[in-house]
Formats: sequence, C-alpha cells, structure tokens
Amino acid sequence: MANRRQEPMDRKWLWQAVLGALIVLGVLSLLILLSGQPLSVGYVKILQGALGWPPSETLTPLDAWDSVLHDMTLVLLTGLSVAVALQAGLFNIGAAGQLLMGAMVASWVGVQQDIPAPLHLPLALGAGALAGALWGLVPALLKVWRGAHEVISTIMFNYIALYLTHWLVVEHLKDPAGDAPQTAPVLETAQLAPLGAFLSTTWGFVLAVVIALGFWLVLYRTVWGYELRATGANRDAAEAGGAPTRRRMIESMLLAGAFAGLAGAIEVCGASGRFFEGFPTDYGFDGIAVALLGANNPLLILLSSWVMSALRSGTYNLHSETGAPKEIAVIVQAVLILYVAAVYLRRQRVEGS
Amino acid sequence: MGEVFDLQLINTAMRQSTPLILAALGGLMSERVGVVNIGLEGKILMGAFAGALGALFTGSPWVGLACAILVGLVFALIHAVATQELRTDHIVSGVAINLLALGLSTYLFRQIIVPLEEQGKSSVVQGFTPIWVGWLSEVPILGALLTDQTWLVVFAFVLPIALWYLLRTTRWGLRVYAVGNDSVKSRTMGVPVKRLRYLGVLLSGAFAGMAGAFLTLASADQFRENMSAGRGFIALAALIFGRWHPMGAALAAFAFGFFEALQMRLQGQPLFGVQLPTDLLLMLPYLLTVIALMGFLGRMKPPSDLGN
Repeated sequence: MANRRQEPMDRKWLWQAVLGALIVLGVLSLLILLSGQPLSVGYVKILQGALGWPPSETLTPLDAWDSVLHDMTLVLLTGLSVAVALQAGLFNIGAAGQLLMGAMVASWVGVQQDIPAPLHLPLALGAGALAGALWGLVPALLKVWRGAHEVISTIMFNYIALYLTHWLVVEHLKDPAGDAPQTAPVLETAQLAPLGAFLSTTWGFVLAVVIALGFWLVLYRTVWGYELRATGANRDAAEAGGAPTRRRMIESMLLAGAFAGLAGAIEVCGASGRFFEGFPTDYGFDGIAVALLGANNPLLILLSSWVMSALRSGTYNLHSETGAPKEIAVIVQAVLILYVAAVYLRRQRVEGS
Repeated sequence: MGEVFDLQLINTAMRQSTPLILAALGGLMSERVGVVNIGLEGKILMGAFAGALGALFTGSPWVGLACAILVGLVFALIHAVATQELRTDHIVSGVAINLLALGLSTYLFRQIIVPLEEQGKSSVVQGFTPIWVGWLSEVPILGALLTDQTWLVVFAFVLPIALWYLLRTTRWGLRVYAVGNDSVKSRTMGVPVKRLRYLGVLLSGAFAGMAGAFLTLASADQFRENMSAGRGFIALAALIFGRWHPMGAALAAFAFGFFEALQMRLQGQPLFGVQLPTDLLLMLPYLLTVIALMGFLGRMKPPSDLGN
C-alpha cells in the first residue's frame, strides 16, 4: 500500500476536483440518456430522491431525507472502518463480512428474552461491534505474524461470513414463527428509537456521527492516533521512532471490524429489525469509496458518506419512478473511485519501475 | 456411499473447475509480472455478459467467445493503464474494476436483455456443443471424463501444462519471472518491464473473459445478474494455494471445483453418515485458503515485487 498524503490545497487540487466533478456528471448524464430519459427528467428525479427538492408528488422531502440518512448511517460507519485501517496502512476489504457478522450476532442478542430492558439495546449493539472486531482481528494477526496480505484474507473472510451467516439463518436461528429464512424480529427493548415522529431514521444515525467526531479527535489529537497514522505513513520510520507498529495495526483492524459490525447491528436494531437471507453487503463495499473520497479523514468522511448516500438515494428514486436501472449509482461510484485513485492516491515512484 | 464418488463426479468437477482454472491462470499471468489483480471477478462477470450478448445477437458461440475475450482485454487495459501509467494503487484499481463490471453488466442486462424477455423473446443463447469423442468414449476412464465436455474444458486442462512449459523454457517466461521478482534489476538488465507487464495483465483479461464466456456459453446458456458469484475470488485463492505456479494454481482450482461438484451431488444428503451443510462445503475453499495463509501448509510466498 502506498503512502497517502493529502496534497496542499492549491490551484491544481481545485482544477482536478472540478475535472472530477465534470467527469462524474458526464458519466451520469450519459447513463440517464442511455436509460431513455431526458436529462431534465433524470436530474430532477435524482435531486428529488437526494435532497427532497424540487417538490415531488410521490416522494415527500422527509421520506427522501430518511432514505439518505439511513444509508449514510451505514456507509459512514463502513467508511470509517476502511479509513481506520488505511490510516494504519492496511486495506480492509472485509467491511462487508464484518458487517454481516455484527448484524447476525446483534440479531441473536436482540431476540434473547431474559436481558433487562435498559441493557438490552447497548448489549445488542456492543455484541455486534465485538463480533465485527473479532472478524477483523484474524486478518490483522495473519498480517502481523505471517505476513499474509490483509486484502486476500479479508476477502476470504467476507465469503466465510457470507456462508456462515447464511447457514445460521437458514438452519439454526430461523424464526420458528414462519417459513421465511430470517431470524425472529429483535425485541422492542433492543430496538433503536426513531429520531422524531415523522422521521423514521433512528438514533443510530446520531451514534454514527458522534463516533465519527470522536474518532477524528482520537486520530488527530492523541498520541495513539499519531502513532497509528505514523504506522500507516511509514512503518519502518514509525518503528524506529518508538511506535509499537504491530500493536497499532492490530488495534486498527479491531476498530475497523467494530465500526463495520456496529453498522450491521444498527441496521438490525433499526431499519430492518432482524437478520434475513440476503442481508445487504454492498454497504461494506460502498465504505471503500466513501473512505477514499474522504481522504481517510473522519470529518471529510461525514461529507463523502452523505454525498454517496444522496447519489444512491437519488438514483434509486430515478429507478422507481422511471424504471431506469438502479445500478447507475454503482457505475458512477466505480468511475469516481478510479478517478480519485488515479489523481490523488498515486503510488510513490519507485526508481526504475 | 459408493454412488457419490464415481467418474461422473469427476466429470462434473472438471466442468465446475474450468472457469476457476482459466481465471486462476489469468491471475497468475498478471501477478507473475508484479501486478496485483483482484479485478478477476469483474472481468469474469463482464466476459459472461459479453459472451451471452454476442451469442444472442449472432447465434454463434464463437462470436460470443470473441466478445468476451475482447471485453476482458478492455477491462484489463483499464487496469494496466491505471497501474502502469497513472500509478494507481493496484488494489484500489481492482476494486473499482469489480464495481464497474457489476454496475455495467447489470445495467446493460436490464437495458438490453430484460426488454427482450419482456417482449416474449428468449434470452437463451446458442452455446458450445460438446466435443466429438467418437471411439474415445469406449476408452475406460478417459471416455467417461470427456463425455459431454466442451472444448473449453479441454483447453482449461491443457493450458496450465502449456503455460508451465512456456514460463520455464522460453525467453519470455524467464523474463516474466525476473520482472515479478525484481523489476528494477530486470530493467537494468534490459528487460522491457512495461511491455511484459502490459502483456501479462492483458493475458489475465483474456483468460478471465474466457472464464466468463464459459459460464454463459458452456454452462448456463443464459446471463444472470452477478453470475460470476465470487469465482474470481476463488480463483485468487487457488492462485495463492497453488503458490503462484501454473500447475499448482490449476490443481487448487480443480480441487475447489471438486468441492462444488460434490456439493451439487450431495444436495444435503449425508456423506459417510455425516450431514454436511451446503454452506459449509461452499465455504471450504475460502477457509482452506485462510488456513494456508496461516502457514500450516508451508510458506505461501508471492512474487517478491508484487504491487509496485
């Protein structure tokens, strides 16, 4: 993994950002046109889904924001998951698997009858985070002890989590009340409350934002955070400077897993209310785009997670109203990752290669 | 349980492992010249789509195969330019390529093939027909293994031997090893590093595209969303398991294909009196790879100049 440093905010940076925005708009426009929609209709539908504006007959602004904030909660956490690992120089492709494990374990805790009410929700969320953390720990240990590339092992762990949770939900933890491959709904005592009477987004969103802010403080205002970043910037130099780089790498993956696991737990204790077959994993991969776009900085990730969720929500609205494929968001995201990676995240030139 | 293990199981395993072998060898060609390639999955998916589309509109599986290889090459070219010219991180580029392939294949599927189905037209393509076996079918064992196989299966089983020979004996092969182990020294010695890298990455695109074409032209006869279903990552696992060696990677890919065939054969019935859940059998390749990475099976050493 190359060392990534933000370039100074000079004119070149601005010019590149404008070019990036133009490329994204170009691709988006092309996809709208290829879907057989005029640009005016396409962009209005996207804006309605993303911002709740201009006014729409089918989608209230509150619904639009609900959808954006719901997605943002999840990709903010998976984005932080990818970012904390990258800050320590590790590429966590495993947020999807960690999210699945967190969701599965949280749903198991969420249906237990004999946990006292005030403890139930924190226990369910905490257990989800812990499950995710353990799922991130093994690849970290393999990396530190065996030198196994974390990208390969986290990919393998994604698939192991996929089949493991599928097996559990179909064979062992299925809701006895029905035939559907899903767990029983989490009890009321383990549910996250909605933010307001009209907004169905839960307090999970607030939790995610608080975590992002707190993580920024830890990363940029503590010795631990400094050592973590030093490890990612140049492991040998950090080691020579006295930072326990192996410990920091392991801790970063524990934290990465915990963030992604918490995302799964929040989804289970909030919007979805249970674990089910085919639990969405794409939030895990969206985290990669969110982290790259946010330059691994928690404050910028707050912004990039909103942008990604608005894009997702907007194209989904376009899809449900005109039938245009909703994969437009995925394509745009891929182009964005390629552009950001090619322009801002170039590897340092190695002599002769 | 005599009826579980027979030649028909091996026959199915050969078919199941064909796309894995092709993709794993694709990964090998790329990683041996030092370019990490986690975009195999995306190239398989695009290959499957392009193969189906080409065959659907021309009625010829050969045109489908050509389309699949071409699309695989285009996606490989994106990876090559991104990593070699723009010096993008290999993994980020691979992630983006997988996403792009998933988005693009699903988008185009919904825009081109789904409307056809809605008009009542068939989206089933004319795939490859099994090779003529003739008197070979009378030969014990070999006959049973080759029955109903397409030529792509035969190709996938000959390719690792051919690559092994080429990599070991030709000037190109030795240069490939040199570039993967130390690109700086290779360049100093006058080896055209960049050209070899482009060739390696493009070959990986062609093989992965073929793997995708196999799915739609010799296995399912129809494209479905995200039908690569993780095969690119199993191929990557096979590459590691096979220690970046053509024969090793192909053997590992065959073993993983065998698990798939076994899982299809068992369909939930017990083996040696033990009930093996389908999910756990499907998980096996990934689990074994993690165990391999733990170092219990000897050191898994990648080409030393990987990722630069």
